[in-house]
Amino acid sequence: MKKKSHPLLGIHSLLMMIFIYVPILVIIVYSFNNTRLSGEWKGFTFEWYTSLLKDRHVMEALTNTLTVAVISTLAATLLGTLAALSLRNLNKRWKGGINGLMYLPVVIPDIIMGLSLLVLFSQMHVPLGKTTVIIAHITFSISYVYVVVNARLAGMGRQLEEAASDLGATSWQTFRHVTLPQISPGIIAGALIAFTMSLDDFMVSFFVSGPSSTTLPIYIYSQVKRGISPEINALCTLLILVSVTLILLAQFFLNRGKGQKKHKTLPI
Amino acid sequence: MRKSKFLMIPVLLWMALFLLIPMVIVVAMSFMQRDTLGNVVYHFTLDGYKTFFDPLYLGIYWDTLVLSVVTTVICLLVSYPLAYYIANASPKIQTWGLVLITIPFWINFLIRTYAWVLLLRTQGVVNSLLLDFGWIQEPLQMLYTKGAVLLGMVYNFIPFMVLPIYVALEQMDKRLLDAASDLGASRWKAFRHITLPQSKSGIMTGCVLVFVSTSGMFVVTDMLGGAKSMMISNIIQSQFLGARNWPFGSALSVIFVITSLILILLFNRAMRSRADRAKEGSA
Amino acid sequence: MKRKGIAGLLLAGAIAGLSLMSLGGCSSSKETLHIYTWADNFDEDVLNDFENKYNVDITIDNYANNEDLLAKIKAGGGGYDLIQPSDYMVSTMIKSQLLEPLDMKNIPNFVNVQDSLKNPVYDPGNKYSIVYTSGVTGIAYNKKYVKDKIDSWDDLWNPAYKGKVLLLDDNREVIGMALKKQGHSNSSTNEGEIKSAVDDLKKLQPSVLAYDTDNIKQKMIQEEGWIGTVWSGDAAFIVKDNPDIEFVVPKEGATIFSDNYAIPKGAKNKELAEKFINYMLDPQVSAKNYEAIGYSDPNAKAMQYHSEEYRNNHMINLSEDELKRTEWLGDVGSTLQVYDRYWTELKSGRD
Repeated sequence: MKKKSHPLLGIHSLLMMIFIYVPILVIIVYSFNNTRLSGEWKGFTFEWYTSLLKDRHVMEALTNTLTVAVISTLAATLLGTLAALSLRNLNKRWKGGINGLMYLPVVIPDIIMGLSLLVLFSQMHVPLGKTTVIIAHITFSISYVYVVVNARLAGMGRQLEEAASDLGATSWQTFRHVTLPQISPGIIAGALIAFTMSLDDFMVSFFVSGPSSTTLPIYIYSQVKRGISPEINALCTLLILVSVTLILLAQFFLNRGKGQKKHKTLPI
Repeated sequence: MRKSKFLMIPVLLWMALFLLIPMVIVVAMSFMQRDTLGNVVYHFTLDGYKTFFDPLYLGIYWDTLVLSVVTTVICLLVSYPLAYYIANASPKIQTWGLVLITIPFWINFLIRTYAWVLLLRTQGVVNSLLLDFGWIQEPLQMLYTKGAVLLGMVYNFIPFMVLPIYVALEQMDKRLLDAASDLGASRWKAFRHITLPQSKSGIMTGCVLVFVSTSGMFVVTDMLGGAKSMMISNIIQSQFLGARNWPFGSALSVIFVITSLILILLFNRAMRSRADRAKEGSA
Repeated sequence: MKRKGIAGLLLAGAIAGLSLMSLGGCSSSKETLHIYTWADNFDEDVLNDFENKYNVDITIDNYANNEDLLAKIKAGGGGYDLIQPSDYMVSTMIKSQLLEPLDMKNIPNFVNVQDSLKNPVYDPGNKYSIVYTSGVTGIAYNKKYVKDKIDSWDDLWNPAYKGKVLLLDDNREVIGMALKKQGHSNSSTNEGEIKSAVDDLKKLQPSVLAYDTDNIKQKMIQEEGWIGTVWSGDAAFIVKDNPDIEFVVPKEGATIFSDNYAIPKGAKNKELAEKFINYMLDPQVSAKNYEAIGYSDPNAKAMQYHSEEYRNNHMINLSEDELKRTEWLGDVGSTLQVYDRYWTELKSGRD
């Protein structure tokens, strides 16, 4: 049974949502503004959307960004979760050191991470490109996943897992039916943060990217010299639209599937 | 499950190759010298570290820490209730809440920040509205101030605070709260003695993420603050790029990383011991 | 169920991302020219013409400033055939041996370049670079708010513009400006001169609205700032959107700058890069290119193909007289550290 939240909490949450979305609204509105300037409102237009779709640089940068973000988030989620899980079984002496190592990418200034990786890659004669960008993103994303999953594990006792193995569950069964469901909100939150970090990263990507691996942030940063173009506003609007649509679709299909299937599946 | 410690190996190998080796390069560089062209010369010196203790750079570091702490505290205060609300809502709202909070941050950082420029500038949205309503006579100078910087920082790091706190609160055993209220504890008391201690791991993670991200961030100070102040990351950046003094930049980075790790450690310890005391107290 | 929901989202996102991926990544065996440059630095049509004429591909990647470019090239970041460093950066890169000498046999059109832009101080004899565009850092101001006659750097210090002054976010440019104001070289290596220039700037500090290089145009267009140090090319851009803006090259003199073509050491397609430079220096191609991007055209033979509007734009084509007052930013060697420290002092408001 759930207690109802205090009404003030609801109001606060609503205000926060407004706070979060006001700038987004501005971007959406300006993406339809009939002027290259981001100043006053000059009437409604779809012009920026059509010119956006024709712009091969933007589309290429978008593709690169999404490729990098998806692959690096998946890999980092896997590796970061593994790290957090297996850390529990290490003795204290190792724990501190490894914990520090895993926190390192979070605290290292971006430019250091980017430059030092660039030096490493060029010493190893690895040609710069999407692969090197993905490697770099996995490296910093692992930390974010690790940190969040670790926090979840810290708040979780081992009683359930012990009970499961006392009852004869194999370690895999215990993991799959006991541990994983318990930590999955942590995994998901970690993955969301990693994805956000990857989409936003400029500095690290800048240094480890090569010909034809320009990501959206790199493109936008170099674009700022000319002023942020309305096409970029249009692109952001489309990205929001696509994300929300995907979520709606996912909700729809999952709700439909819910009727037939009994609760058996696991989060990931 | 015992075998699972070997699962650590791939991650460790990865981190050793792509993190430790590059870091060793940086640490080594921090003890070297630069020539007139800005190339790194292999000659041992502590100059990079000595320069840091110049009051100029120490002062900038202090400013950075203060801004990061203030940002973190504000972020925590506004995010906790939100995370709490989401964690206690129906499953459907939980999903939506999390996603709605993260999606705006999938829009490029620069654009997001630029949207605030559009809102806050003299001929911007906010000033136009206020003028139209006749609440002000002259446009307010909101942009290029410390307040604007703070706003931009808090705005950008909200998800980093909400997500970990949500994760912790979601996992909380809510029966404890029922038990507490059955025993006549007030809402506040139940929150203070049950909810808060149980969400400590989340608060800790959120604070660390926000603190570290803020101190490493300078685009916000540049765009919303008019580049009229300096953060330690501005300095690091300019040593590697503009001033071309890689050894000093490396030394600053080493100091930055070490102090950040120490702060995280101290913070973790402080929170842990309080959590432990709280647990003992409740037992 | 809730968890399934989120998992579904992630999966859906992954699928969407992967399907988008498959859209990109078509490759061909054609010879490819990898250009690393400023954003929107070439007319898209001109690039297409080159691709078609020689049956090659061009890839363009962008950097936002010279320092990023240098760090990347220095740390071994390569794979590029053609880069576009600014004047002082050309000289730094030459000294650090990061550039390939140009083979002028492949660039006969070099003769078309204006004499005044040949043989520049930062690359005597054009061994490593050829100018792409040039301009001057002057004062741009808004006639609506600034009624006085503006002709000196001193005017920035006028208390009437308090809180409305914009300065470039660049230590050499701004300190160089203050040095000019006091009658020194913009590349002074005399610490006393630099200090006195910075002290002057500290007095200007309360008037400064913002330091900005990238968004300074927007700040002028939107009338957030009334007066400031602006590049001539940017001023030409601003005027298109805000006709109240005027631009002057102050009487004390100013800094001239250029962006150039150069080939980084170890470029794989050096000859193709030279072919491209030569193509771009063709008078007609050149006219088409600069007409589209709105920067100054260094090609002496191209003027006849330019529109009247372009030829008459005094912010794109500066007068002989104005150009005579200008000076390149020279390499100041280790004095750069002095500049950097004073700059840090100035911006952080600490001593």
